[in-house]
Amino acid sequence: MTEIDLVRLQSEINAEVKKRRAAGDFPLGLERELDSMFARYAPAGTGDDFGEVMIQAETLSFVHADIPTASRIAPLVPVKKMLRKLMAWYMRFLAQQVTAFAGAITRAVRLLGQRVDTLESVTVLAGRRTLSEVRERRASPDLDDWTDLVVSETVGAPGRVLHAECGRGALLAAAIAAGADAYGVEPVDALATDAAGAGLDVRADDALAHLQALPSGALGGLILSGCVDALPLGEVLELADRAAAVVTSGGVVIVLSGGPSAWSDGLDPVIADLTPGRPLRPQTWSHLLGQRGFCTPRIVLASSGPPPLQEVPTTTDGASVINANVARLNQLLFSPGYAVIARQP
Amino acid sequence: MVAVHQVLPVFAARDASGNHAVAIRNAMRVMGITSEIFAGEVEPGARHGARTVRDVRPDRLAAVEPTVWMYHCSTGSSVADWWAGVPGVKVLDYHNITPSELLGPWEPYVGVEVDRGRAQVAALAAVADAAIADSSYNAAELISLGYESVTVVPILLDTDHLADEGVDDAALTSLRKRKRGAEWLFVSRLLPHKAQHDLIKAFAAYRLAYDPDAHLSLVGRVGSARYAEALTDFIEDLGLVEAIDVTGSVSDGELGARYRIADVYVSTSEHEGFGVPLLEAMAHDLPVVAYSCTAIPETVGKAALLLDDKSPTTVAAAVHRVITDVALRDALVDAGRRRLVEVGLPASTEQLRRAIAATLARAGISGPPALAAR
Repeated sequence: MTEIDLVRLQSEINAEVKKRRAAGDFPLGLERELDSMFARYAPAGTGDDFGEVMIQAETLSFVHADIPTASRIAPLVPVKKMLRKLMAWYMRFLAQQVTAFAGAITRAVRLLGQRVDTLESVTVLAGRRTLSEVRERRASPDLDDWTDLVVSETVGAPGRVLHAECGRGALLAAAIAAGADAYGVEPVDALATDAAGAGLDVRADDALAHLQALPSGALGGLILSGCVDALPLGEVLELADRAAAVVTSGGVVIVLSGGPSAWSDGLDPVIADLTPGRPLRPQTWSHLLGQRGFCTPRIVLASSGPPPLQEVPTTTDGASVINANVARLNQLLFSPGYAVIARQP
Repeated sequence: MVAVHQVLPVFAARDASGNHAVAIRNAMRVMGITSEIFAGEVEPGARHGARTVRDVRPDRLAAVEPTVWMYHCSTGSSVADWWAGVPGVKVLDYHNITPSELLGPWEPYVGVEVDRGRAQVAALAAVADAAIADSSYNAAELISLGYESVTVVPILLDTDHLADEGVDDAALTSLRKRKRGAEWLFVSRLLPHKAQHDLIKAFAAYRLAYDPDAHLSLVGRVGSARYAEALTDFIEDLGLVEAIDVTGSVSDGELGARYRIADVYVSTSEHEGFGVPLLEAMAHDLPVVAYSCTAIPETVGKAALLLDDKSPTTVAAAVHRVITDVALRDALVDAGRRRLVEVGLPASTEQLRRAIAATLARAGISGPPALAAR
């Protein structure tokens, strides 16, 4: 009697998918293509297109009084026809009342929809439009400084490791080379295609949407970069919620951010101005993750190069006061990128 | 003496709820308990098994002997209101109601009906003296709807005879003649929450990567005409008309032939309150690959390759593994046979006996000796 090791089997199946994907047997975007093919035949409401649902509601809101008279028992057909004729005055009256009510309701919902559209176009949608432009404009993220940290934290993770917004996947490749079972998502198609072309399991997908689709406890590790610096606050909070849900017990979340100073420190002005969100301070991520049950999050600051404002020689008059202020200014104006590492208990 | 009568919205031949009710009636009668089945509607062809609720005077029956009225709930129905008014002990047996978000977009009227059904189940908590459910998944749902305690009693299935439907030799010969590659099978009504569309996606990925001669049989009558039409269009669009049979309802003999020709049973269903066809596949020594959701894990136990992710590539790779790894296939088939024993008639009848005995004891009614604790 052989016991089936489901966990081992599932991991071998995942590896097989990865291998076939790299070999091109499962073309990049196959799932998405199949989904969109079937979506053509699915009715409104299976997706989230408000306009289509409204059209369906308006079509259904008309109640007609011509009750079908077909029957599997042939002699019943004339009986049904007769009954329909006799009842027509009654049915028509009822149908008109119901149609009028349903029509008023659907009209009210459509008006409400128009108001929400207006509201969205100046709030949420504005951010989404600019975000897509910003994403196309940015290069693959340079996260080389974090390679050692990511590798040491993710090797031996209790499940698959996801890098959300992995660019061309340099960090992902390092984690895989060190033995992690890792994959990535990247919203910019060109970057995702490059990564997949390099043999990495990288899916062209939005980080938050991907996390929302994952079942609880599906990941052993989660690296968040890019999205954490660009999404509006509400979606950043949702990222934190989903991270808490999808990372399994003993798993790790690593937030890699450019830090708030990235927005005043040589960043492309178009990106800086049009990005809907702003990077949080590391203490805020630490707070958010701790609040969601992660064990005492650890903050690691990037250590690249000397501080931009130099201290004065100690022999200068008032050097201690000046240097304390210089240090403070360096911290406020030029704080480096950071990593926040947090583990599920 | 004591009576346990059952009430269903609809009693139909070859229907899981109907078969379950018949098995309960038989088990009750063996224990010396009077038992009949009543339904709001008895479909033609099933009239020997049940009478309509219009044919019964509950007050008269209850006057003859203490009576338990067991209502089988799988949809909203006016029969539930009838049941709520009968004199005697009332037991609700919950087989689950499909969530409207899965059905509503395809069949808006059905979506409204199932919502009403769920509200009705919640309202019935006030009148039910006891509640039982096919699975702990269903039990959890009842508790969330306001039931205080729910006993799990699996569907009464004669698992020794699940593969006894016979084989249509002509159908089997024709299927054999056509067979070139791996044969996939899924048996269920064509309904959006059974997710045949996801199975088709996985099958398309499988043909692309592994076996261009593979074939899929989707057996089951149309539950949603709109969904069935979408599946047909989707299959045409994929160029898989020759590779996928959407058979509709088939005879027992043809079903037997398709079970025998199949290499693997694959389910990507989104919602199952229990999942009888999964056990039927095991009875036909078919390895089962299934998306792990709702009550499926507890129905199959350790006898299926359960997947947390049903993306087409994952399902395709899993099926490929089951078909090519003989040791795994044999292990799944063996595990399936053991699972059928675990959920077979003796075990589930014993759980039912305990549930009925406890209900009677709470109501202060003494049952026949066969119902007493063993």
